[in-house]
Amino acid sequence: MILGVLAAGSLLIAFGGGLSAARRTFAVGLVVQAVGAAVLAVVGFWALAEGSAHGSDFTGSPTPHLGLDPLSAIFLGTLGLVAAPALVFSLRYLRNDGPGRATGALTAAFQLAMVLLLCARDPFTFLLAWESMTLLPATVILVARRADPTARRTVFTYLAITHLGGAGTWVAILLLADAGGLDDPTVIESGSGLQVAIALAALIGTGTKAGLMPLHAWLPRAHPIAPAPVSALMSGVMIKIALYGLIRIVVDRLGILPVWFGILVLAVGALSAVGGVLHALFQHELKRLLALHSIENVGIIVLGLGACLILRSRGAQTPAALALGAALLHTVNHAVFKSLLFLGAGAFEKVTGTLELDRMGGLLRRLPWTAGAFLVGSMAIAGLPPLNGFASEWLTLQSLLRVVLRGDTADGAAGALGLAALAATAALALLCFAKVVGLVLLGPSRTPEKTGPAGHPAGPQGSGEDFATRASTVFLALTCAVLGLMPGLLLAPAAAVAPWPSERPEGLGLDLPGAGNLPAPGLGLVLFALTALLLLLRGRRTAAPAPTWACGQVNEPALLWTGSGFTGPARVALRAVLRPQREVTVKSTGGVLQEVTCHLHVPQLIDERVYRPVARRSGTVAACARRVQSGSLSVYVMYLIGAVVVLLGAARAGWLG
Amino acid sequence: MSDPLLGASGAQMAVCAVQIVGGVVVSPLLSGTIQHFKARLQGRCGPTPLQPYRELRRLWSRSAVTVEGATVVHRAAPSVVAAGLLTAVLLVPCADTGVDLPVGHDVLALMGLLALARFALAAASWDTSNGFALIGACRDLMVSVYAEGTLILATAVAVLASGTTDLRGMIAATAGGEAWSGPLLIFGGVAFALVLVAEIGRQPVDNPDTHLELTMIHEGPLLEYSGRDLAYLHWAAHARHWVMFVLAAQIFLPHPSGTWAQLATLPLALLLLCVVLAFVESLMSKMRVMSSPRFLLIGSLAALLGVLSETVGIA
Repeated sequence: MILGVLAAGSLLIAFGGGLSAARRTFAVGLVVQAVGAAVLAVVGFWALAEGSAHGSDFTGSPTPHLGLDPLSAIFLGTLGLVAAPALVFSLRYLRNDGPGRATGALTAAFQLAMVLLLCARDPFTFLLAWESMTLLPATVILVARRADPTARRTVFTYLAITHLGGAGTWVAILLLADAGGLDDPTVIESGSGLQVAIALAALIGTGTKAGLMPLHAWLPRAHPIAPAPVSALMSGVMIKIALYGLIRIVVDRLGILPVWFGILVLAVGALSAVGGVLHALFQHELKRLLALHSIENVGIIVLGLGACLILRSRGAQTPAALALGAALLHTVNHAVFKSLLFLGAGAFEKVTGTLELDRMGGLLRRLPWTAGAFLVGSMAIAGLPPLNGFASEWLTLQSLLRVVLRGDTADGAAGALGLAALAATAALALLCFAKVVGLVLLGPSRTPEKTGPAGHPAGPQGSGEDFATRASTVFLALTCAVLGLMPGLLLAPAAAVAPWPSERPEGLGLDLPGAGNLPAPGLGLVLFALTALLLLLRGRRTAAPAPTWACGQVNEPALLWTGSGFTGPARVALRAVLRPQREVTVKSTGGVLQEVTCHLHVPQLIDERVYRPVARRSGTVAACARRVQSGSLSVYVMYLIGAVVVLLGAARAGWLG
Repeated sequence: MSDPLLGASGAQMAVCAVQIVGGVVVSPLLSGTIQHFKARLQGRCGPTPLQPYRELRRLWSRSAVTVEGATVVHRAAPSVVAAGLLTAVLLVPCADTGVDLPVGHDVLALMGLLALARFALAAASWDTSNGFALIGACRDLMVSVYAEGTLILATAVAVLASGTTDLRGMIAATAGGEAWSGPLLIFGGVAFALVLVAEIGRQPVDNPDTHLELTMIHEGPLLEYSGRDLAYLHWAAHARHWVMFVLAAQIFLPHPSGTWAQLATLPLALLLLCVVLAFVESLMSKMRVMSSPRFLLIGSLAALLGVLSETVGIA
């Protein structure tokens, strides 16, 4: 039954993809795809609630096998939940022209690749889907931005890094299949070299695809240049499905890992969380900022996963299952609010003609519904109650507290540092989204209203908010609120995904007996009720309006605050870590000051200190290797003869055994 | 769902009553008392401890000046801040038991509520695009990065002592002399003391008496508010004192076990905290804004030492 509906949903997506490739049926195709995605969402959460496996089980055999179990189901549901509004949004966002139609059709293929990956039950289907999931968004970017050389370069970086790092996934899956771990997880001995090798390879392979630091360099480059709905799918779903690979291998198929591996995962998660948000803080471009926040949130998910691994090694089964639940809950939550923010960014770009934070402003008045939804999404990603980001961060903090309680010196200290990292990350995300909300939604408009770049009218004023945009963003904002008020609905089945026995949490809120209790529905309702009551008590009595106080001056555009002004104290406080560069040039003629320019730059330290030297050195090595490759056939024949002679000589001397 | 008030014991009702009356009505008295003692220590006559009530009454009767071009965010922010703090008052029990209110008693939820208040004020500052408000807001958010990291480590210390994030359980587990036999809570107390100073905006992190743009943090975002909005924001600052003082008194200071004994010693502990803060404010000058991260990092390290002092032994 479930598999039948799943197949129907996938067929609808495929059919819709075909339709959206034609000029006449473009819009119909997108709607059909959205319906198919909605079917996938229903199937996913239905199978998760049911909690049983369907179809084939995992096998190491080379023939194709497909199936669905609760762990796949939660990711499948997330895929549908994000893809449906993103496709509705595309109705107005994508133009009915060549690149637009190709994007529509490729989006369908991209979704199907992800569905195939989630349902794959044998190593070859899994790896095939894994590679298609990498290649298809690259194709979308190339199609959507044809003649843009920087986009091509970015796609090259993306493919190079994900393929180099992604080799880890191949190693992990093939080693696992070879050892029989895909058929039976108990075959591989706990603590053996093979187990550790598979786990490390999986961490590198899937970590690259998920954008974990220090393997993240492609992510902030590739995500922003895709069209907004595809960015939403990439940031919201694709990197989560990479984490599905990690959870599938490390939690589901490998038995109990040594404690130090859990600490390693925790450390990688903490680095990504803090590093991601620190770089996001000093970004001036909205979509790039959102992409860097994806690194942060993947880090938070991996913190939960690390807590799960440590607790499981320490034999705390129920807390470990809850930590896994925390990771999965944050996966769903982040998918929802991140796609909401990407769609909002797309809508704003259409209206203002720019993604520069310092040139937007005042959009809450121009696009009340979309901007209101964007505000809700910003509060959710900043981890504020009563929204969904807060619920999953609460649960992750609880899991880390359990690590501190259960652990000895090393994992206790790791847990405490993870806690501090997560709390600081939440506060930094708050700072960052206070900046985003302030610059994009509030204050006066900072765009010259007449024209956008290159003399084009900056989008239809006022008509920038149509039904498709409103419906998709408001739907996602409501989902944020529902998941924030009733996180227990999702936690109970998500914690039951763990392949070891544990107690199932109950209730709509997050109630962990003996450890803590977050009555999310009550807290949210009391908060709403008290706010309403206080607004009512305040009344409407007001005096005459007055302009903003600016020491008696008019608060003109030159006096408005910029993003780098707002993050200034944080930049100075963190200068030891961030190494910001500042250039001030003063022009004066005849002792009279004419002009002062200040250029501020916060470098991506991992790019500059790790990637750049490696790239430079490999370039040098490649240049040496090139000298050997003259291209003339006779030289190659000489090489062959030389090699044969050397081998014969070696065989004669007995070196070859 | 049955009414939580039915079936609550006398002690529970008393705790609930003290918590609500104290948080809502008595809280302005705390800052009033600090100001009063501070004036006396500095040889001034100073206002009576009841001065904050007079100011609230005065503000409540004034109409509010609206800011040209401001949106609903600016208008709603004071109510959101006050509602967040009111929820926090309901959430923080003042002894080891209490009525099961629908908001729960979770310390991590309290951190979320304080963050919500901070966000609302920062957004309101952007809405008016008042430069002074933004100076205060961005400094406040920068300090909060360190304050939250330190607060969660202090919380980890309390969780190590009690095993739960439920504040009632924490208060019960840290009561009596036994919990204080090891160094754990002393380290936690040092960390919490530094967070407390930063969170309620007192010297040496912030100076509540000045509106000078070079020094202010918490006063900045209040500049564009007047009338009842300003009254809400002032009350929220008083409620923040109450919440943090109760946590300090009942978890990070020695306190007796037993609900009634805890309720009886609470006023003494609050008075002690007021006097100590008055002394600190008289003896120390405000530090530079950029020194406050270092100040709070000392707290983080202290709490981390506390955590290690407990986990090293387990092995």
